Amino acid sequence: MTTWTDSSLMAFADGEMDAGQSTQLQAALMADNALQQRLVAITEQRARVAAAFAPVLDEPIPDRLSQLLRAPAVANPTPHVIDLHAARTKREPHGIEPAVSSVAPRKAAPTWAQWGGMAASLVLGVLIGAQLKPPMDDPHLGLQGGKLVASGIIEKSLTTQLASESGSGTPVTVQLSFVDKRGQYCRTFSTAHMAGLACQEQGRWAVQHLAALDAAPYTGMRQASSALPRTLLDAVDERIAGDALDANSERSARAQGWRR
Amino acid sequence: MREDIAALLPRLRRFGRTLAHNREDADDLVQIAVERALTHSHQWQPGTRLDSWMFRMMQNAWIDESRARVRRQQTFVEEEAGEHVGVSTNDAQMDALAVREAVSQLNDEQRAVVGLVLVEGLPYKEAADVLGIPVGTLTSRLARARDALQAILADPTGARP
Repeated sequence: MTTWTDSSLMAFADGEMDAGQSTQLQAALMADNALQQRLVAITEQRARVAAAFAPVLDEPIPDRLSQLLRAPAVANPTPHVIDLHAARTKREPHGIEPAVSSVAPRKAAPTWAQWGGMAASLVLGVLIGAQLKPPMDDPHLGLQGGKLVASGIIEKSLTTQLASESGSGTPVTVQLSFVDKRGQYCRTFSTAHMAGLACQEQGRWAVQHLAALDAAPYTGMRQASSALPRTLLDAVDERIAGDALDANSERSARAQGWRR
Repeated sequence: MREDIAALLPRLRRFGRTLAHNREDADDLVQIAVERALTHSHQWQPGTRLDSWMFRMMQNAWIDESRARVRRQQTFVEEEAGEHVGVSTNDAQMDALAVREAVSQLNDEQRAVVGLVLVEGLPYKEAADVLGIPVGTLTSRLARARDALQAILADPTGARP
């Protein structure tokens, strides 16, 4: 009579035993309760371990992993600075300056005055967002007719979020809304990693300017006034006709679908 | 290749969790392996198993990643506690937690064989190739891992060498 070792039983449980031995073992099992129990312990353990890790298969795949495997054409949507006004950027390096000083020459409308306080909550929101939120659903930006347009959560935020309601914890924050010189609505937005300016063009939010936010490494809360890159605020200055919208005008613009 | 790897991501993440326990560390391993796979795709031999190739790169990354281990030790408690805060736990979930906890107490070599054979269901030969060891070494590691696991699960609080 064969003595069945633990390693034989394990091989059987793992499907590694050859057919001849398997037949012998099965015959032995019929007549041997203790052998049965040893085998059951091994197969149970195997099933238990497999079951313990099985739920991982149903977890959503983190964005940082799925992004690696996107088609190369869209694999790198956030270069350090995407400046649609390259010449301007060359003239003024990607420095970050106090927003207040950049807008100071303009007439100080109430909305601008609120900006400092709003920016503080914006930055806090960006920080919290960066730490707690999973990466946003892609794509946030897309190409349409050769133009960069907001999509996904950025488009949604531009369309539905009021600057006055932008709070902490949202992945996209909207800061300023204004009417540009062509008479279209424009809005600035930021995510944990970038800030941009988008204006209405044929029902879409066409991105006019985009800049990376120096997201890392955060050592604490950034000064609110440095929240938006200088180049972005300049882009606002360049386009704005009159003042930024106040909360009421913003609300009515949203109600009309940002059409004029 | 990208699509094939993308389809493997759930399993790669699962294997990562047997190695690293901590979710972030596990995903770090997957990320490293995916990046290596994409840059060294020419090194993969068609006709061989892509999953084994990826597992091997994850295992190598795990050996390299001493940094991750330090982090794992630091975040170990919060991670596991945090994952289950407010989650109604039934018996199956409790058991899964206990088993994952037990697996995390195995040594690196044992966790790798448990992950490859018991969780991923690789044949001995395939698992041995992933680890670059003879089948005999694999089976003896596997036997020791099973014994150790049984001991830990039988007495989760017991002091072990």
